Amino acid sequence: MIGRFVLKRLAIAFLQLVGVALVVFFLIRMLPADPVARLVGLNASTEAYEQSAHALGVDQPLWQQFLNFLGLFSNSGQPGLLQGNLGVSWVTNTPVLTEIRGVLPVTLEIVTYSLLLAFLVALPLGLASARKPGGIADRITLIWGMFAGAQPDYWWGLLFVFVFYFLLNVAPPPMGRIDPLLTEPHMITGFMTIDTLLQGRFDAFVSAVHHLMLPVLTLVYVVSGAIVKMVRTNTLRALQSDYILYARASGLPEAQVARYALRAALTPAITLIGIFYSVLLSAAVTIEVVFTMGGIGQYAVRSILAFDYPAIQGVVLVVAFVSLMIYLLLDIVHAYLDPRIRY
Amino acid sequence: MTNDRATTPEDLDQHIDIAVLHVDTRFAFRERLRKDPLFLIGCIIVALSLFLAAFGPWIAPYDATAATPEISEPPPPLGDWPRLLLGTIRGTNETPPHWLGTDASGLDVFSRLIVAPRTDITIALVGALLSLALGTLVGLVTGFYRNWATEIVMRVSDVLQAFPVFITAMLLVTLSGRSAGNIVLALALVYTPIFVRLTRAEVMSQSARGYVEAARAAGNRPFMIALKHILPNSMVPALVQTSVTIGFAIILTAGLSFVGAGVRPPTPEWGLMISNGASQLILGEWWTSVFPGVAMTITVFGYAAIARAFEEWFR
Repeated sequence: MIGRFVLKRLAIAFLQLVGVALVVFFLIRMLPADPVARLVGLNASTEAYEQSAHALGVDQPLWQQFLNFLGLFSNSGQPGLLQGNLGVSWVTNTPVLTEIRGVLPVTLEIVTYSLLLAFLVALPLGLASARKPGGIADRITLIWGMFAGAQPDYWWGLLFVFVFYFLLNVAPPPMGRIDPLLTEPHMITGFMTIDTLLQGRFDAFVSAVHHLMLPVLTLVYVVSGAIVKMVRTNTLRALQSDYILYARASGLPEAQVARYALRAALTPAITLIGIFYSVLLSAAVTIEVVFTMGGIGQYAVRSILAFDYPAIQGVVLVVAFVSLMIYLLLDIVHAYLDPRIRY
Repeated sequence: MTNDRATTPEDLDQHIDIAVLHVDTRFAFRERLRKDPLFLIGCIIVALSLFLAAFGPWIAPYDATAATPEISEPPPPLGDWPRLLLGTIRGTNETPPHWLGTDASGLDVFSRLIVAPRTDITIALVGALLSLALGTLVGLVTGFYRNWATEIVMRVSDVLQAFPVFITAMLLVTLSGRSAGNIVLALALVYTPIFVRLTRAEVMSQSARGYVEAARAAGNRPFMIALKHILPNSMVPALVQTSVTIGFAIILTAGLSFVGAGVRPPTPEWGLMISNGASQLILGEWWTSVFPGVAMTITVFGYAAIARAFEEWFR
């Protein structure tokens, strides 16, 4: 049963990715931008311009460019999307996939830790506010929850830098993932905290955590509002249901009733984690710029500002792929936990 | 022709309904303002933001894009404020004070702060309203007529929703030229799928109701039923979402400038101000970046407060 469901969802996700690839390819070429002029500069001679256009392959008809991108009847001699290749960056001349493999874990590390911590903060707060509507916790979460997903995250990041680096001097300057005097560990998982531990580099581990502190703090602060709100709403709904009334009437201890309510409140919320994940992924773009983390968000900013089409296509496809996979995973977990769901 | 219409009993009924509804909502609005301080604060903030968007440049003491000789001047100490305020009222100050200091190029932070809504609020408002209009229309059509053509539209909407919002907006604006108009279009495009989804779901649930069946039985044309009966009853989720989306759009507009993909300097705009001050912030010059962020947070809060009140109101 669940196998069929997973297959069906995988097929849909695959079709969506194909759609994203199609849309992003044609969208960026439909917009009135001239990437060649951007690369060679405005003062370049016509010959230099044409030579560059030829080298990039943008002098070819659009359908041929698309076939080259796909790697189907390609005349560029390069493998394409179907062969698992995202092309070569126009700016750095490095394969886009190699570059993304280097920057994606940076973002995933920040976002994953932020999401975990945000839940640790938001769960008790949301529960407390649902248990006592109108209480202090409830009022705080009400205000906080109103900002759900609409915080100027980059501004908070800067503010935290000002307070914790400039005023209190407990955080490192907002530059990079690790102290520049330390040698970076070899990349194994790409998660700096895990790689340093795997290689027994304690000093580097401490420095990595130190550098993660403020970006994670910012993201936790930004996303918790939405989580608190969600936990509160779901718990309130669960607390008003008949089986909780029954549990209370049976004289069960309040803590046990709360546990039942929590379970009932969180199961439908699992699918919402995907939304928080996308909120964080979006916020990570500007946060990475603030803290110069060098993740996929910063890579996206750099590629877009440089009109680096292959890199842009790669970033959009990879980010869409990651989100779709997370949604899929959460749906499966949800179906597994909630026996009422039959697909 | 028009006079003939108003004489049918049904039309009279409708007029009465509308009149009652009108009185009702006005009453509820006042009641809410009185009882719900958050809604009151929200209304004040939103009104102020609209006022500044309209009249900001005329109130600003300095030209928001012309540098003054005072560079990186901190705001005057709070103790001086009463004297400066009095001086402003009597007109005895030699030059208008820099209430919130000046930035590294000598631009007056306060003037830029209150002129910025003209850019930020206008872009966010128009962008959100465009996506509301577009999303509601598409949602209505796809929810009411369910066939292969609308199915395709929904799949396209699904694909658009898989796009990362910030990166997509940045891409659209940068490649089509960093102008206010292009930012509005980008916002409209990235936010439309949400409205499509919300409206469609509501239209589908409304279509199953009795009044739709009654309207159909009375011989109304399907399209008129959708437009006149289902649409007004399906607008609530989308309207609540609009207020929320304006907040999102303000953050996004400023975020685009922050990473260098939004309106061009020296346009007075909150995100540009924050990014201008960012490099001085770690040297202790906090006022250039901090104040625009505060203004933005307050504004977003205002729109969110109204969204929340709407949500409870219509429920």
